[in-house]
Amino acid sequence: MKDALESNNGKPVFAMSVTDMHKNKTGSWRYMRPIYDEKTPPCIKGCPAGERIPQYFALVKEKRYQDAWHLILEDNPLPGVCGRVCYHPCEGVCNRKDFDETIAIHNLERFVADQNVGNSFPQRFFAEKTGKKTAIIGSGPAGLSAAFQLARKGHAVTIYESLAEPGGMLQMGIPKYRLPREVLEKEINDIKSLGVEIITNTEIGKDKPWQELSDTFDSILVATGATKSRPMQIPGEDLEGVSSGLAFLREFNMQHKRDIKKKIVIIGGGNTAIDCARSAIRLGAYVTIIYRRSRHEMPAVPEEIAEAEAEGVKIIYLTNPIEFIGNGKLEKIKLVQMQLGQPDADGRRRPVPIKGSEFEIEADQVMLAIGEVPKLDFLPEGVHEKWGRVDVDAYQMSNNKGVFACGDSANGPIGTVVDAIATGKRAAIAIDSYLTNQETEFVHYGKVVGFNEINLDYFKKEKRVKQNRNNQKEVLSNFNEVHLGISESDALYEAERCFSCGICTYCDTCLIYCPDVAITKAPDGKGYIINYEFCKGCGLCVHECPRNAMTFEEELKWRIV
Amino acid sequence: MSQMKFEIPEIELMKSGHVACPGCGASMAMRYALKALGPKTMVVIPACCWAIIDGPNPCSVNGVPVFHCAFETAAITATGIKAGLKRQGKDDISVLAWAGDGGTFDIGLQAISGAAERNEDIIYVCYDNEAYMNTGIQRSSATPWGAWTTTTPVKNPKERPKKDIVDILLAHHIPYVATASVAYPDDFIRKMQKAKSIRGMKFIHVLSPCPPGWKSQAEESVHISRLAVHSNVFPLYEVDDGYRYTISIQPKKVPVRDYLKYQGRFKHLSEEQIELIQQAADRKWDILMKKVEMGELFMQN
Ligand SMILES: Cc1cc2nc3c(=O)[nH]c(=O)nc-3n(C[C@H](O)[C@H](O)[C@H](O)COP(=O)(O)OP(=O)(O)OC[C@H]3O[C@@H](n4cnc5c(N)ncnc54)[C@H](O)[C@@H]3O)c2cc1C
Ligand SMILES: Cc1ncc(C[n+]2csc(CCOP(=O)(O)OP(=O)(O)O)c2C)c(N)n1
Ligand code: SF4
Ligand code: SF4
Ligand code: SF4
Ligand SMILES: [Mg+2]
Repeated sequence: MKDALESNNGKPVFAMSVTDMHKNKTGSWRYMRPIYDEKTPPCIKGCPAGERIPQYFALVKEKRYQDAWHLILEDNPLPGVCGRVCYHPCEGVCNRKDFDETIAIHNLERFVADQNVGNSFPQRFFAEKTGKKTAIIGSGPAGLSAAFQLARKGHAVTIYESLAEPGGMLQMGIPKYRLPREVLEKEINDIKSLGVEIITNTEIGKDKPWQELSDTFDSILVATGATKSRPMQIPGEDLEGVSSGLAFLREFNMQHKRDIKKKIVIIGGGNTAIDCARSAIRLGAYVTIIYRRSRHEMPAVPEEIAEAEAEGVKIIYLTNPIEFIGNGKLEKIKLVQMQLGQPDADGRRRPVPIKGSEFEIEADQVMLAIGEVPKLDFLPEGVHEKWGRVDVDAYQMSNNKGVFACGDSANGPIGTVVDAIATGKRAAIAIDSYLTNQETEFVHYGKVVGFNEINLDYFKKEKRVKQNRNNQKEVLSNFNEVHLGISESDALYEAERCFSCGICTYCDTCLIYCPDVAITKAPDGKGYIINYEFCKGCGLCVHECPRNAMTFEEELKWRIV
Repeated sequence: MSQMKFEIPEIELMKSGHVACPGCGASMAMRYALKALGPKTMVVIPACCWAIIDGPNPCSVNGVPVFHCAFETAAITATGIKAGLKRQGKDDISVLAWAGDGGTFDIGLQAISGAAERNEDIIYVCYDNEAYMNTGIQRSSATPWGAWTTTTPVKNPKERPKKDIVDILLAHHIPYVATASVAYPDDFIRKMQKAKSIRGMKFIHVLSPCPPGWKSQAEESVHISRLAVHSNVFPLYEVDDGYRYTISIQPKKVPVRDYLKYQGRFKHLSEEQIELIQQAADRKWDILMKKVEMGELFMQN
């Protein structure tokens, strides 16, 4: 071709292309503009702690387990705990449930934590010391979460715990067959390694007065949980053999007290009741749970009720005790049958006794597990309470300036480990801005990706992974963990199954389909650049994106600025 | 793995700045074809949209030599260029004849039949947008039954079925014939690479959505192409040596209605007419399956 040009003073001798079309800026045709625009997947919003689920899945897929672990920690310092005991509200809203089955998010969380990738933290977890000091009362998940977040911001944190070991309900309440204590200890040690001090055997109000804290610390966070069992207020409650279920769990879990009776009756339908029952059955007792409503209303998690029954726990529904009978020592329980009446404030139908249906059963031990309430007698005069909990504002602060509260001891979302972690994190963010005199900025979620915004052409139906499990007979003779987590290959499979709603996975789909070659990879390989000089605004990239990580916007909006 | 992912050559020979309509399937097809064939390629383009898309003289977006030829002469021009290259000892250069459906099914049929019968060593791709789009959407023998075009208006939509070009090519006993879709670029690229490695005449028929001609949304082009495959309107398969049929993408058997509904050119169809199209698609698939079976039988003997 060169010859042909030379023979005619640089002009082609026949019609021949000598250049491309780079001067033809087809971007001027465009009236809609594609942009990369990541959105919130429902699971992240569904997780009270706001764990960045598809983002850490992406790291799992690359087998970057330590990075995945660090990313989870930013929102939740207890992934090994939560991967085991959290009721995973994230899974309830997962978009995949409308396609085949929800992603086993909690199994993946546990998998990442169980990789045991050491205990070193990235540089971003360390900040310069601020010189500000915060006292946290209570070392449950709420207190631990807040301590972790405050320490990451450079504040000095001291946790006071009345019991001999830290962890709150994770230590005293939840049985070891659901949460081995090595897992808890490891995560508490990780938190301590950021400089958090935990002083045990110190009950505020008894071993140390409140005044001392308010004199020494710049702020105080109440995270004392709900540790007082609610009484039944019926005759015979003071008999020997009638005690609180939580006390039984605490003494067994923390002091290894195994001396229980043979015929045990547990009153209540929540998780405490189930945990007492399954622990007692492992100690060789015959266990019956008495619950005043029907199974449908039972607040315990259905899977755990089923597991308890499979392990031999008997449950009697629609029945309530009216008297504990005995001569100094419990011998019998008088019960009455109930029926469900009108719904009450929380929408559940209120149980009413059926006249004349009283009957008696024999029992040598009763555990009351009808709920736990906070014990706030250590608080100074004037701190407002609501429903028996510290009354806090949107910033977790009480009416007493510098005094904050979170977890089960504060009003707000309560009753689960992850709620405690979430409010602990919120409190830490608020305390940080209080201590540094700055505006408080909580995470704000933008648009949440709906199921109908996923491009299903890119996915095929697949089964959810199943967790390994210890064999039924074996688990009943000891307190070994029942569920064993998932294998690496299952973890990789499950992470791959996730739609990654609204979060780009760098799958190249947009780039490949662009008819105008207007999309290129970003130099670092993470993301793309759209060349608006040539993009005609056909919208194919946005339309084909499998996960709604792009948005098509009116061009005018961009021209005005 | 539950997610579709593509393995595609990074090389971009076709560049930005071309004048195809937004969302044009034919421009996507060329991009993939050149990714597959690489820089040692010459392209022959007869009169058709692509003669314009490429750019006015002296410009071309394709990054490889492009030869524009008369409407009916894609196959014979490619034949001549290949012969010239061979004579110069440049036999490693692939020659790609790239023509529309009008230039293939209709006016170019004689030329392609001649080249196929002589088993010329060229790759012929027909990008089929199912009408004469460049001159304003006139019907061709590739226009499907029932479709609107400017010469088959809604009152008298097309009454003859689409010509079976693949069967016509197969009747010439050439080594490789395949269908392709812009919704499956990896499959299309694999077929182009395979064609490049085979001596003799190769024919690839790729369905090319045309938003203005099909009265469809630009952003739907890939979706529509995918539905064409899964409704059996345009099944993806390849035929080696004239008898070994292989299905490339197993169709999900979606109703043809789902394919038709994104295209204004089918908007006027009645339920009964859609049902006829459904029956034709089912029949086409059944016949194809019989051919697959027959091919397997021949292989055993
Ligand atoms: C038996 C049982 C099983 C449960 N199982 C689950 C489960 O599987 N999943 C789930 O999500 N949730 C479960 N829960 C609920 C969950 O454990 C609690 O909601 C959560 O632990 C609350 O966290 P917290 O940090 O607010 O309080 P807690 O965990 O109760 O911790 C409060 C801590 O403060 C200490 N403390 C109290 N007063 C003082 C004081 N004056 N001075 C110093 N220290 C003090 C306490 O000793 C305790 O260690 C369960 C609860 C129980 C009782
Ligand atoms: C011999 C001859 N007749 C008519 C034309 C006018 N003409 C140019 S492009 C074209 C239509 C081409 O249709 P098709 O091959 O399907 O390609 P498309 O434009 O649809 O991409 C026609 C009729 C011509 N260039 N030469
Ligand atoms: S599919 Fe993945 S990203 Fe989407 S909601 Fe479920 S876990 Fe979250
Ligand atoms: S596919 Fe390409 S031309 Fe179409 S909107 Fe996206 S970037 Fe623009
Ligand atoms: S198509 Fe893939 S690469 Fe492109 S934005 Fe969507 S997720 Fe990211
Ligand atoms: Mg055409």
